[in-house]
Amino acid sequence: MDKLLEIKNLKVSFYLDNKTLAAVKGANLEITNGQVLVLAGESGSGKTITALSIAKILPVNARVDDGEIIFEGRDILKMDEKSLSKIRGKEIAYIFQEPTAYLNPVYTIGNQITEAIILHQDKNKKEAAKETLELLGRVRIQDPERVSLDYPHQLSGGMNQRALIAMALACKPKLLIADEPTTSLDVTIEAEILKLLMELKKELKFSLLFITHNLSIAKKIADKVSIMYKGEIVEEGACESIFSSPRHFHTKELINAYQKIGKI
Amino acid sequence: MKKNYSLIFGVLIIVILSLIAVFAGLISPYDPSAIDDNNLLMPPSSQHLLGTDGLGRDLASRMIYGARISLSIGLIAVGIATIIGLILGSIAGYYGGFIDTLIMRFVDIMLCFPTFFLILAVVAILEPSIFNIMAIIGITSWMGVARLVRAEILTLKEREFIQASRAIGASNFRIITRHLIPNAIGPVLVSATLGIAGAILLESSLSFLGLGVQPPTPSWGNILIESKSTLGVAWWITVFPGLSILITILGFNLIGEGLKEKIG
Repeated sequence: MDKLLEIKNLKVSFYLDNKTLAAVKGANLEITNGQVLVLAGESGSGKTITALSIAKILPVNARVDDGEIIFEGRDILKMDEKSLSKIRGKEIAYIFQEPTAYLNPVYTIGNQITEAIILHQDKNKKEAAKETLELLGRVRIQDPERVSLDYPHQLSGGMNQRALIAMALACKPKLLIADEPTTSLDVTIEAEILKLLMELKKELKFSLLFITHNLSIAKKIADKVSIMYKGEIVEEGACESIFSSPRHFHTKELINAYQKIGKI
Repeated sequence: MKKNYSLIFGVLIIVILSLIAVFAGLISPYDPSAIDDNNLLMPPSSQHLLGTDGLGRDLASRMIYGARISLSIGLIAVGIATIIGLILGSIAGYYGGFIDTLIMRFVDIMLCFPTFFLILAVVAILEPSIFNIMAIIGITSWMGVARLVRAEILTLKEREFIQASRAIGASNFRIITRHLIPNAIGPVLVSATLGIAGAILLESSLSFLGLGVQPPTPSWGNILIESKSTLGVAWWITVFPGLSILITILGFNLIGEGLKEKIG
């Protein structure tokens, strides 16, 4: 299978006023076309920072110190802002943890999805608005016309996450990065969103990098699992082998954590 | 919900004044610059509702046309100030670092000048036409807006939806104009409304010193200065323009306060 993304020896640090904190200490990842890679680990292990590095949308005080991020043969870290903004949203798209916070409160849902379409495609407002409705339907929103006119605060977290997914998929990206997209949602909604993501993946054939601390999700959707611990990838393997024979103690911890919850 | 009386009264006052200014040609009983030798310094009567001035001109008509001048100077001067403040403030807040320091120190320098004397000096060099007055008031009163906008942008740019718009590939320009400024506009609107009152007062003071709008064009300020010499015998020429300045400023301040309660 073709390699879509390869991260080699990525090092990212936060530069604070009087100290530097290493968040990612040499991470290696590889995603092939159409694959679902689950990146799991405890809070603060560097999962999100690794993910944000991929399209270089790190917070201002974080910097990549070393490493390579090869996306379709090109090193993203060596690109200028202009070529990066052509990749962001078009080739690599994100969905995030708290959907409502990631939508602009002063615009309607429809307006924001339309923007995402117009940014990368040569379409006028009318065509884009029409496509927005199709996209909303595609993420299984019942009444696209009404929802597209709603503001984020009028909708539930689950609906907003669907809207964000529609926005992320607007330009048919090759890689979707989902940073704990279900953590802030309740369990039934979580199951729906996961199901939706898997269905869309089949329809649109993108690769998925899914970040979570919940290994039960990994068991449901992953082709491959990477475990991150204190800024390093400590274990990596096919989904079944990670669960049947975990080697690193943190992997065992994570597996135990969700099995305990399962028993309650 | 509690009724926002200051907003209601403020809007009422300003709407009435604006209508008077817009329809000045229709409602003013006389030509504002028609001199009438037979009716010098006539007190208010049924013929001349607010009396006449030292040249026999109808005071009511002059004040109606003066409303046009005073209001448009207030609006346009504040418009200029707000635009400059928005541009510089958002650039400083968004980019930070050296650009921020440069712009904010420039703001500090501008604030060091006593604005009124700066305006006096500039007007003394340029000719005091209506357009120059608007431009000068605008150019010397944008600093507050810039500081306000910068502060708003500083907090807004850390919000998640800004990261999300970077993730869909929006350019810096687009992020500032489409995502940051619309979210920062509330407090700016409040300060602009209060600023209009200040600008009208400033124009009146300039005209009173003879450096504002030049006669025979009537503005409330220059009607006042003409009344100075006849204050002992014709109180109406002083009182009515003074009252209208007071009411206008009250109106804008009420709107400003009302808006602050609502959105600021």
